[in-house]
Order: sequence, then C-alpha cells, then structure tokens
Amino acid sequence: MKIFIAVVCVIGWFFLITVVHVGVFRSGRMVSKLQQEVEIKEARNQYEELEISRLSNPEEVTTYAEKQLGFVQAKPHEVIVLDEQK
Amino acid sequence: MMLQTNRFSAPAVFNAKKRMRLVVGIMLLAPLLITGRLCYLQLFRHEEYLSKAERAIYNSLAEDRLRGGIYDVNGHSLAESVRTHSCGIVKRYVKDKDATITFLSETLGISKNEINKKWNNAKNFFFVAKKIKPDVYMQLAAVRRKALGQGMELTPEYERIHPFGKSALDLLGEANSKNVGLSGIEQMYNEELTQDISKKRARRSARGEVIYDRHLKEKINVGNVYLTIDQTAQFYAERALKNAVEKNSPERAVALVQDPNTGNILAAASYPQKDGQSLAFQFTYEPGSTFKSIVIATAIDSGKLAPNASIYMEGRNWEVAKGFIVRDKQHNKDFLSLAEILQLSSNIGAGKVALEIGPKTLFSYFKAFGFGSKTDINFNGESKGSVSPYNTWTKVDLATKGYGYGVAVTPIQLITAYSAIANGGYLMQPHLVDRIEYTGGKVDKKAKPVKIRRVISEETSKTMRALLQTVVEVGSGKRAQIKGYNVAGKTGTAEKLSKEGGYAKRQHVVSFCGMVPATKPQFTILVILDNPAVYAFGSTAAAPVFKEIAEPLLVMKGVAPDQLDFE
Repeated sequence: MKIFIAVVCVIGWFFLITVVHVGVFRSGRMVSKLQQEVEIKEARNQYEELEISRLSNPEEVTTYAEKQLGFVQAKPHEVIVLDEQK
Repeated sequence: MMLQTNRFSAPAVFNAKKRMRLVVGIMLLAPLLITGRLCYLQLFRHEEYLSKAERAIYNSLAEDRLRGGIYDVNGHSLAESVRTHSCGIVKRYVKDKDATITFLSETLGISKNEINKKWNNAKNFFFVAKKIKPDVYMQLAAVRRKALGQGMELTPEYERIHPFGKSALDLLGEANSKNVGLSGIEQMYNEELTQDISKKRARRSARGEVIYDRHLKEKINVGNVYLTIDQTAQFYAERALKNAVEKNSPERAVALVQDPNTGNILAAASYPQKDGQSLAFQFTYEPGSTFKSIVIATAIDSGKLAPNASIYMEGRNWEVAKGFIVRDKQHNKDFLSLAEILQLSSNIGAGKVALEIGPKTLFSYFKAFGFGSKTDINFNGESKGSVSPYNTWTKVDLATKGYGYGVAVTPIQLITAYSAIANGGYLMQPHLVDRIEYTGGKVDKKAKPVKIRRVISEETSKTMRALLQTVVEVGSGKRAQIKGYNVAGKTGTAEKLSKEGGYAKRQHVVSFCGMVPATKPQFTILVILDNPAVYAFGSTAAAPVFKEIAEPLLVMKGVAPDQLDFE
C-alpha cells in the first residue's frame, strides 16, 4: 500500500511539473507574441515621432514661414530682450 | 484425483517461475539495451547530439545589434535607428509561385514583372524588398505560417533615419543596416552607441517562435550621443554657406560657430558635404590676413609693442631681403598704428611687427594659441596644421608669417585662437560631443569647459577686441556690421600655393573670423571660401556670410544689443 502511495505521489509530482512547464511555455509564447506586437507598435510610433521631427526641422519651418506665409526674419535689434531676473 | 493434481501442479509452478524469470529478463533487457545505447551516445556521440539539440531548442534573438541615437544639444534627433525588415524568397520552399508573387506584389507595392524578373535571375534565394515598414511587415508576418507564406523569409534590419535630411551629415557620418557606424561621429562613438545582443539565446517552439523567459530580458545599455551642435544654429550656418556657394562658386567652403566661453562648437557646415568628413577639422590652409590678429596680439601681450605704436611703411615698398619686396597698395600713409594695420590689412605693417617680436617669441605664442598641434576635439582625420620650428626661419619667413603665409592652420585651430581673444585670453578645449546618456540613466558629460592655458592677458584680450572692432567699423570688415551690436573681426584674402611653385595670382582663400557682441562675445564665427570662381575678397565674400549667420543667432539666443544709440 505504502509503495502504491509512493508511486502515485511520484507520478503526481511529475504530472504537476509537466503541467506547470506546459503552462510556463504557453505563457512564454504568449509574452513573446505580445512583445513582438509591442516592438512593431514601438517602431510605428518611432516613425511617427521622426516624422514630427522632420516637420519641425528649422529648414521646413523657415521655408514654410517665408514662402507660404510671407514671414520675414526679425533683425536682432528689432527684438526686445526681457531680463528674466527682473 | 488429488494425487494426479499434485503430480501435475509442481511442473506448473516451475514453469511459472521460469516464465517469470524470462519476462523479468526480457523486461530488464530493454532498459539494459537503452542504458547501453545511452552510454554509447553519451560517451562517443555527445558533441553531435548536443549541437543538434541546441539547434532544435534554441534560437538567437531576432535583433542582433541595438544602436542609440545622435541628438543635438537640445535633444533634437539627428540620427536614429528604426527597426525594419527585409523580405526574401527561398524558391524551393514556395508552394504556389503565382499566388505568392501576387500577394507580395499587392502588399509591397512592387510590380509582378519586377518580382518575376528577380525570380528568374535568382538561383534559389532573392530579396524582394528591403527596409519594410512595420505596417507592411504585419501583413507579411500574418501569412508566414500559412501556405502563402511558405518560402518567405523576413529578416530584421535597421534603417538609420536623419529627420533633418542632410543637415550635419558631414559630422554625423553613416551607419549601415546592421547598425555598424562607418564614418564620422557614428564611427568614432560606435562602441558607446551599440550593444551586440546576438549571442543571447532564446528557447524556441517547434514552429520556430521565440519563447519568452525572464532570463531573456537583457539589460540594455545603449548610449545616446548628444552633440554640442545646436540644430538651429547649424541650419543658419548651412543656409548662409549655401547662399555664399551659389554666389561665389568656391571649390570648398566652411562655416564654423563656437561659443568662446565654453569652447563648444555650435555649428559646423562644410561644402562640398561628404558623410563623416568635416572640413572644419580636416581642411588646412594658409590663413593670410586673419592671422594678423594673432601676430598683433602677440606683439602687445609680449610687451614688444605698445597698443598705440606706429610702424614705418617704408614708402609702401618694403624690401625684406634682397629680391623679396612686400607692397601695400591699399593706402598712402607713411606710418600706420596697430589698429590701422588691421583695418587696412597692411602686409608691411604685420611683417614688420613680426620682426619686432622675433622668431622665438612668435613661435611660442603660435604654439600657445594651439597652432601646429591637434585640438583633441576627437574627430577622425583631424589635421594638426603646420608650423615649422623657429630656428629654421629666415628673415623672410618671419615677415611672411606676420601676415599669415608659411603656416598651415585648420578652421578649428583658428576659431579657437580667436575665441581666446574673445573670452579674456584663455585657450578653451573645443568640444563637439556634449554628453552620452545611457539607457540605464548614467550620463557621461564630455563637454565640461576646460581652460587649456592662458594665452594672452585679460588686458590684451580687451585691447585686441577694441582693435578688431575698428576693423568692422571703419576697415575691411564693414560688411559684417550688425545694427545694434559691436562686431570685432578680421578679413583675410590669401593667395594659394601654385602647383608650379610660388603663389597663384588668381587663386585665393577668402575668409572672415569675428566675434559678437564685441563687448562680451557670445559667438565666434569663422567663414572660409576656398578658391571662389568669382573674383572675391574676404571683405566682399566672407564678411557678409558672417553677418548672415550671426543675425539669426543673436535673435535665437536672445542676446541683447551692446550699442546704446543704434536707432
């Protein structure tokens, strides 16, 4: 009887380990898949941010301001500089 | 009956025991054979099966090398790596050629003919497209496990993106699709910018997918390099240089902006622009008249001449040695003060000042100003220029060095020397890289203001700024004037060495180096146009470029005018 219980315990133990391993592997695969999705979304986001950088580039802004909006760059003596400490 | 039974039961028991032994024997034989086989495999074929198991279970991570970005001093991205993919086809694994080609054509926006052409030219493998963006990659990855995706290989690679286009590319350099820096800052800081994680193994499923586990999360420690370059200043410098190039058609051109108080380079533009090759550090030339400021500063600081000293002009035809005559055609004066020597850019005046100083003192000041040695700005291919030892100088050599011939300097050396005049007399260590920020949060500050040495006294610095201010007010540098601001600077028009020997009369290097506001300089700016196709002078071609760069910089930094009555 004791031997039977011991055998059942050992088999049960191995079964439990197998179940846990399968669970870990499944979760691992799921995390891996999600990580890949995150990476793709991050890359997409990075592209968007770089596009914003490109559009805020001084050359783009200046060209647009001067040619499309007719702005003229101010001369330094025309700018009033306020002393921050006052 | 009983007897009969007993008589036959004994052999039955014997048979059962025998059979039991046989069964046990057979049962033991199997593990024994297995054990034997295992021992054989373990002892003799260990390596072979270990590598097979490794290949079956483990996979290298998809990303092989991460790369940080390069930013300007304010954190604007100048170069960044974006993960993309390349799509290749292994022909022998493709199940339905027509369906696959149609799918790829529709998804990637490439014509079927083009893919068919590649298919026919390739033996077994060919790339259909490279640098595939994330959205398209998602569509391709979705069919990878289906029949349509059989034979399709998606390999990760990187695209180095420069949001500001070609701006500062001569400084930044190039990095390839494997995230390896090839030139410029990309190459010089390759070690800090990259992290190789290709050796990290991941367990994989039967389908080949990477199975995540907590050991897989590598500690990322990639550095982002922040330059001292201000992108807006860089744009102004590049725009002004482009205009000057269109007007004067020089062979080469440089515009350099430095903060004289820290030594930081705010902008460095070169023409022609080559990836990773900045003329600001690699171009050497004879500076001509811009060098007169250095000689006059030496004369005053060493006490050889007083600031109000006058120099006799020898009838504007000075025979330095037999057969070597220096002429001044731009004035009719018999005597010139030091200020006038600078204003009128007198070669006789500067040559005679050099003779007054003497070779040993002049040489030691040249070295103190940083000429003839690298600035250690840490840019690949930086030239050290050339200043020959003073004991080899003849009288003519000494006189010609007085007006900037017989020495070779780099733009970074000259601007740093002018910055010493601007900041009160200190030679500052020039910097191009401000800091490196690592993903872990560690910050490695590179651009701490370092005073290399005091070159001239505070008093000499002040006197020199006043003298150079008169050059812009009444002398050759009038075109550098900026309303509301005192500008100090010096023009230069130097003849170029001829291939046949001597100097070529029609080939010049024209330049202007100056500082603004002269009372408390915030910017030192150097403009050089090498061999303009249009006949030009430093006063007509380079000084206006200085103004074009300085004006928006003063607005950008909110520098208050230092002239009180400019209305």
